[in-house]
Amino acid sequence: MSGYDGMSEAVTDEAAGGRRTVVDARGSWCPGPLMELVRVIREEPVGTEFDLLSSDEGSRKDVPMWLEKAGHELVRMTSQDGYDRYVIRKKHE
Amino acid sequence: MGSSAAPQQQMAIVLTEDSADKLLPFATLASGAVALGMRVDVFASYWGLMAFRRGSEGSAVRIASGHGEEGSRLEQALRAKGAPSWRSMLEMAKSLGDLHIYACSQSMEVLDLKKEDLDPLVESVTGVGAFVDRTRNADVTYFV
Repeated sequence: MSGYDGMSEAVTDEAAGGRRTVVDARGSWCPGPLMELVRVIREEPVGTEFDLLSSDEGSRKDVPMWLEKAGHELVRMTSQDGYDRYVIRKKHE
Repeated sequence: MGSSAAPQQQMAIVLTEDSADKLLPFATLASGAVALGMRVDVFASYWGLMAFRRGSEGSAVRIASGHGEEGSRLEQALRAKGAPSWRSMLEMAKSLGDLHIYACSQSMEVLDLKKEDLDPLVESVTGVGAFVDRTRNADVTYFV
């Protein structure tokens, strides 16, 4: 995964009750994960939950800050094996 | 962007360099601003404009000017870590939001360049007056 060139992988799974999209931006450099999130969140309907995976430390400040500005919800953030998982809900168009 | 009705903020960048150690931070800065919903206006002049010559396609002309041995170490690290190209970062930023890149008309004249010699990421050729006018109320300005 080389971020911008490789493009992170967004997988949408509707079977799990509600729309859920995984944005795997691990390995993408700052501000790649944030850019991926901004791009993908536009493409999905209100109410969709996103799992943003990022190994970029900058995302820890950038993602919550952007979500607050943009008015979307950070449901939770967890860290594991060298990357962070941000669960995000799209609140409006 | 977002639910607030605040007026869009603007970042102005004057780019005069063409080495990777300048182009990557420049593209990163522009991308971050676009992600935050800012309008970004870039004035590419001299070496900064040379970086947008058609055919160079995002490859930096040099890695680091004036850093000797450190420059080649940086080059190795960028390659080893699969750094994104500054051009692909700008391309993504442009597809996401409000990024405008202008070519300095004086540099075009000096370097004997025409609009068709430039990367299509460059929107138009403009004089400094038009750029200054467009960015006179910018919230933040950088010189790279």
